[in-house]
Amino acid sequence: MRFELIDRVVERQADALTGIKNVSAAEEYLADHFPGFPVLPGVMMLEALVQAARLFVAGPEGEWADGGASGNISGNNPGGPLVVTQVRNVRYGNMVRPGQALVVRVTLRKREGDGYEFQGEGTVDGQVAVQGRFRLEPLNAA
Amino acid sequence: MRWIWIDRILELERGRRCVTIKNVSAAEEVLHDHFPAKGDRPAQPVMPNTLIIEGMAQTAGIMVGHAGDFKEKVILAKITRAEFSDAARPGYTIRFTAEMDNYSKSGASTHGKCELIDPHTGESKPLAEIALMFSHIDHNMAGLAFPEHNSRLHRATHANVAGLGFPG
Amino acid sequence: MTHDEVFAKVREVLEEALGVDEDEVTPEATLGGDLGAESIDYLDIVFRLEKAFGIKISQAELMADNVLSDPQYVQDGKVTDLGMAELRKQLPHADLDTFDESRQVDEFPNIFTVESMVKFVQGKL
Repeated sequence: MRFELIDRVVERQADALTGIKNVSAAEEYLADHFPGFPVLPGVMMLEALVQAARLFVAGPEGEWADGGASGNISGNNPGGPLVVTQVRNVRYGNMVRPGQALVVRVTLRKREGDGYEFQGEGTVDGQVAVQGRFRLEPLNAA
Repeated sequence: MRWIWIDRILELERGRRCVTIKNVSAAEEVLHDHFPAKGDRPAQPVMPNTLIIEGMAQTAGIMVGHAGDFKEKVILAKITRAEFSDAARPGYTIRFTAEMDNYSKSGASTHGKCELIDPHTGESKPLAEIALMFSHIDHNMAGLAFPEHNSRLHRATHANVAGLGFPG
Repeated sequence: MTHDEVFAKVREVLEEALGVDEDEVTPEATLGGDLGAESIDYLDIVFRLEKAFGIKISQAELMADNVLSDPQYVQDGKVTDLGMAELRKQLPHADLDTFDESRQVDEFPNIFTVESMVKFVQGKL
């Protein structure tokens, strides 16, 4: 598989980005999670938020076209790609099943040094499936 | 990609503690996207931190499931807090140590640490600290269709606890 | 333990359980609305209050969630007169006056403020 958890960006704002993660039965890891009852794992919802936040930081020109959501803003960044270094109170509500779309929205709360703090929320059919706060920092910052 | 983020159980102390390891290998396809080479920059393969959180959730999930004799269906309900101080690169081993904070009819809370071990020298250094909450699904989501054998992991753990594939 | 001492510990519990900043945890802040608490968070809060204050708490006595699942107390998504009386009896620590105006079950989480948690703990000490 590809580690791409945002299929489409649907909206960009000055402080926020909304994207879509389509969940398909063709994704092989769903066979393990769980056998006979495929649902998107909670940490993959978090990963979708993280990748949406990377796309937000990259900006509309970004390197979205050639890099995709997983590593896209690393090209010109001496600190390397942004990775999630802190997670605070990520809660899970509704489950997301094949055939459903997780709509993720990340909002920038503050920027400190090289780091970015986001509030994220993912909904499925209008119901909250995941929400919480997290921080991104360059991989090689430490 | 399989959804198995720990390789071995090293210790399991009922209702108190579980220790597991996960080898990080360049053969894992997820590392090829995280992060690929681009332009002049070489590839920077690191295990995604979200999947390290999943490794801790599987480690702590075994401990929580075991505490209830695997009669309860256990799901991850919350990542209370996670803090990373390093990155997990191929050729290193992650050791997960989960400890129980609270256990009740409704669910459980756990905390734990992840360490990076160099298999060559045996040296270890801190990687992350992760606190989680689990929900006993039958007590909290009445009526939700959920299969009896909800998790391959839990079945595998049954086998591990019974002595099959349990190290030492 | 003085009110301020209880408040300081409750604030710490809520900061850790809800991942919010210290300045967000004001006495009037509602757990569900202002601080974004979800159902799993209440279990976390119960666990942490028990540890911080050395008390035993059942989720039912903190939240009276048994009332909301009882059809004689809730009809068409609204709490009945009987239900309001039961809530007032079970939740002396909560702010039920504002809730009494709408009685919408959806708004129930807003009856729990930081101050109501302080009152609840004081009642258990």
